[in-house]
Amino acid sequence: MRFLFFFSALAACLHANIRQDVEVFLEQHCYDCHDDIDNEGELNLLDLKFDPENPKNRAHWEDVFQRVEAGEMPPKKKKRPNGEAIAGFLKKLEAPLIEAGRRELSKMGRVHARRLTAREYENSLHDLLGIDIPLSGELTADADEGFTTNAETQQISHFHLDNYLRVSAQALDEAFTRALEGDKQFHREYLAKDITNYGGGNNRGPQLWKGKAISWHSQMQFAGRITKTRVPDHGWYRITIHDLDAINPRSDGYLWGTLQTGSGYSNEPLLYPLGIVEATQQSKTKILEGWMQKDHMLVFKPNEANLKNLPSKGGSFSFEGRNFEKMGFAGFRFEKITIERIYPVGDQKKVRFHLFADFDLEETKTIPGPALSKLIRSFASRAFRRPVTRQQIAPYEQIATEHLKSGDSFPKALRSAYHAILCSPKFLTFVEKPGVLDDHAIAARLSFLLWKTLPDKQLRKVANQGRLREPEVLRGQIERLLAHERSSRFIEDFTDQWLDLRDIDATQLDPQRFRDFDLPLQHSLKAETQGFVAELIAENRPVIHLLKSDTGFLNTRLRDHYKLKGIKLTAGEGLQRVRLTPAQRSGLLTQASILKVTADGSVTSPILRGVWVNERILGRHIPPPPESVPAIEPDIRGAVSIRDQLAKHTESTSCASCHDKIDPSGFALESYDPIGQYRIAYGNKKNSAKVDPSGVTPDGIRFKTFDSWREIYLKRPEILARTFAKQVLSYGVGGILEFSDRPHLEEIVAEASKKEYGIKSIIQAALSSEIFLNK
Amino acid sequence: MSVHISTRKALPRRAVLKQAGIALGLPMLDAMLPAFGASEPASPKRFVGVSLRLGLHNPYLVPKDKGNSYTPSPYLKSVQDIRDKFTVISGTSHPGVKGGHTAEASIFSACPMGRGSNSKNTISLDQHMAKYMGDETRFPSLVLSTSSHRSPSYSESGAMIPAIDDPKKLFTALFANDSPDAKKRQRDIASGGKSIMDIVRSETKALERQVGPGDRDKLDEWFTSVRELELRLEANEAWIDKPKPKAGKEPKSPDRNNAPDVMRAFLDTVFLSLQTDSTRFVTLHCPDTSVRALEGVDESYHSLSHHGQSGEKLDQLAIVEQATIDRWGDFLRKLQGANLIDDTMVILTSNLGNASSHDNRNMPVLFGGGGYKHGQHLGFSNTNNYPLPNLYLSMLQNLGMEAEKFATSTGTMMGLV
Repeated sequence: MRFLFFFSALAACLHANIRQDVEVFLEQHCYDCHDDIDNEGELNLLDLKFDPENPKNRAHWEDVFQRVEAGEMPPKKKKRPNGEAIAGFLKKLEAPLIEAGRRELSKMGRVHARRLTAREYENSLHDLLGIDIPLSGELTADADEGFTTNAETQQISHFHLDNYLRVSAQALDEAFTRALEGDKQFHREYLAKDITNYGGGNNRGPQLWKGKAISWHSQMQFAGRITKTRVPDHGWYRITIHDLDAINPRSDGYLWGTLQTGSGYSNEPLLYPLGIVEATQQSKTKILEGWMQKDHMLVFKPNEANLKNLPSKGGSFSFEGRNFEKMGFAGFRFEKITIERIYPVGDQKKVRFHLFADFDLEETKTIPGPALSKLIRSFASRAFRRPVTRQQIAPYEQIATEHLKSGDSFPKALRSAYHAILCSPKFLTFVEKPGVLDDHAIAARLSFLLWKTLPDKQLRKVANQGRLREPEVLRGQIERLLAHERSSRFIEDFTDQWLDLRDIDATQLDPQRFRDFDLPLQHSLKAETQGFVAELIAENRPVIHLLKSDTGFLNTRLRDHYKLKGIKLTAGEGLQRVRLTPAQRSGLLTQASILKVTADGSVTSPILRGVWVNERILGRHIPPPPESVPAIEPDIRGAVSIRDQLAKHTESTSCASCHDKIDPSGFALESYDPIGQYRIAYGNKKNSAKVDPSGVTPDGIRFKTFDSWREIYLKRPEILARTFAKQVLSYGVGGILEFSDRPHLEEIVAEASKKEYGIKSIIQAALSSEIFLNK
Repeated sequence: MSVHISTRKALPRRAVLKQAGIALGLPMLDAMLPAFGASEPASPKRFVGVSLRLGLHNPYLVPKDKGNSYTPSPYLKSVQDIRDKFTVISGTSHPGVKGGHTAEASIFSACPMGRGSNSKNTISLDQHMAKYMGDETRFPSLVLSTSSHRSPSYSESGAMIPAIDDPKKLFTALFANDSPDAKKRQRDIASGGKSIMDIVRSETKALERQVGPGDRDKLDEWFTSVRELELRLEANEAWIDKPKPKAGKEPKSPDRNNAPDVMRAFLDTVFLSLQTDSTRFVTLHCPDTSVRALEGVDESYHSLSHHGQSGEKLDQLAIVEQATIDRWGDFLRKLQGANLIDDTMVILTSNLGNASSHDNRNMPVLFGGGGYKHGQHLGFSNTNNYPLPNLYLSMLQNLGMEAEKFATSTGTMMGLV
């Protein structure tokens, strides 16, 4: 106590000195606007004490530091201090701010009671129980902005708890039913003659032609539905389309289509995508796997924009021996379809083992006790990600024992204990104590970051041995997790949030304006970016590849979209790794996925894209317009292009100070339309305004095109590396990085620089840093 | 017109049941009856809050003159037949609430929450009502959105209550009776859930001792949630075996590319839910969904809201907003037809007073029903706004609640009669 008092008194004394040290600088360069009278931006530096132990006060000074460091303050129109004065000013502030920030972090911890995200919850339940039913859609949705892992944005209410209670009951129902009653089998073959030309109802299915089935292209609702293929239960199914070939494909020899599922009723028109299919003139068997709802059927057909629709009358196709192939219509021809039920996480034996281990259920009827406590303990320690004591599982044992006493069966009693465990905050949140994390907490962080699920056996073993803080062991585990197929979950979830790929379908495109956009393309966009990021990590490519790379992932549909005629692809093989000419379309920012999520479906906005590039790629946080700035109503009458509109808007100086930072990268990307196609004008009329992708970076470098904008940042790999490290860490720990993390971040960047800023090296260094290994 | 002096200072019956530990069959005690009355009011009071993400263009909405004899603004011409059933209010906003779009979270809470990561919301008006008066219907409240789970309804602990965004699901929840299997599952959940919540409570307590001060605050919210869930489970249990009301035909499913029609589909079902007394407190949030199917509109709703005074954009925006107001008017007419209007307070508002510049002042407010003497334009200062939370306080008192303050209210709404 006394020591603490002494310490804070000493700190206060030291801080008073710092205030004096920076007084001259403040007086010469800041008080003009930031005093008690002008109070610009609601910042009065004249009366602002220097008291970094107070988090609010510290935040003010951190802001001052960062604005001065970035050269934003004092503003350009004022007299600028020389470099030496700035360096001196910053140097005096930095150390005490960092020290105070660290003291706070070590006391409070960065992340408070972070919860499992919906995906993490689903994966964990699948792993714990061996089941595979979708659960994340049943849960209260996670925040749709920023990282879903961010504890500050996670809320808990009785709605959430109620949700957990019900969804875990549903999961346990599935697991116990499968374990006790066995798996449902389903395996059926549908020959062409069985699924074609059936009588009754509207005929929108395939045609029987020379012993084969042909699904013709048509945008009529439910065209391509195969009514006979209704499945008897909810479940995962493997669908095999035998000997598929394309009739009248495009000149390059391929034809894209979709396999969807749905009820097929007009009052339930929604179709669920199962996959996209690329057929060529060479027949080939295609296998797709996916979740189907009870009584849903397959809907399978070519599905490209700008193809001729098969003629129909009164909602029906009339085949009657007509040769549509000769008439030039596009179709999918196939021999037969098989549908079989699969259990992707594991079969019944596995579920049984997860629930009952090796115990014989007959024996548990007479002596349930020992089995009960052993099973509960093992289940709890897996769910809680750490060993548990006998005492800790007592309440679960008790709830199970009560069920036994009331005459319930052993499985029913066990189920009640499991249910309680799955509603526990020890399962649903990350229990971490302030300061250095213990091995079990590190194992959980690693596993939930890179696999989005509970730690596996090997990781638990290393944690039990207490060896995860050994650098080589940690490095080895990171390497192992990243190399495993499960890391694709990390790629998917992380890019969904870092790059906003989760919003890929969020904007509704204007169908008049974007006639070429179709389902196969929409499904390919995400896959391209995910494949690209996965490759950069796996191959440890330098971080500048994010902007410019000789590697890309394309299928024939994307290649057409990008008009990259020269790129060789094997038709029918789907997404393929290709070599690109880096100067053209390469790197993240020219991928249609990114260009689409940063536009609104009808027009592009240099502001939206500019903020996005700054925050996600360049690591420059763009604060929202300060609340004290009086709302300025933009008047855009008479403006033509977006750029003109913006120029009018930013004529006001208070807008310009931020837009100088925001707009340049947005301007550079104006060469790409809302679906990522290259353009030189807004619209294709004679008088359409021309695109002007030129601009000036905030530090004054001029560029003429997107490519020359990009060259500027290719020379600054450390900026890209720092941003990437920040994104991975923020996502991985579930909290935002603080000012006091700066030295750690610089260490990570320095470490990665030894490996040419390889992306995997950045991840390695980040996950080995104090930021990751402390609460 | 009814006069509402009665304040419902009553002890919730369930609270007594709980404390007494008796499951059922406790006689009504005098203390449980509302003050001033020997029995429940014959027709209960209700609240429906409709909120728009993108505001309404004030120059087209707000009449130029104030008072009872106001000349209808362009937007209000279509609802003159029910002129005496609503008041148009201008020059009000939530004190201290800023942040443009982010202020959406404060539409019904009026909480000046700021936007740091530590900002926290407070309870919204509808949830406040539901908390004290929601225990008499199957659904204490309905939280709805025309798209996405986001809502402006917040719990006491500042957690957003996820919205139902599918009108079909809503209709099923309200009116489709569950199968015997489903009922059994619900009973299992209710009884099993209570003993599980007991464990969760003691575990949360034990955890609080192990973790740091930051986590402890968060775990406190767990604690509150456990307590509230226990109450809900108990309340739900009583409803499981009661048959759901019959509502007749399901409202026509909406055109998803016509935002006002989606709003219409929800309001149709909300009307049925009020008519069958399935709930009394409803919020419906309307984010910027597609408006492509509206004749004469070819830009996105959001881009139209940033009209920048461009005449072409404003023309299109007006098509969308007029349709929105028309659907709101239809809803009032339906309430009137069913004799529910004088007991149902219906507000249409937005966090944005000017969407083009993201201004949170001068929120658009149309306030209908509830037994007030409407028919006026209640205009306050555009430059020095009157606090809108005062209207919220008036609404609470209209329900019969003995409230003296809601959020930053400074009293009840001036001029509302």
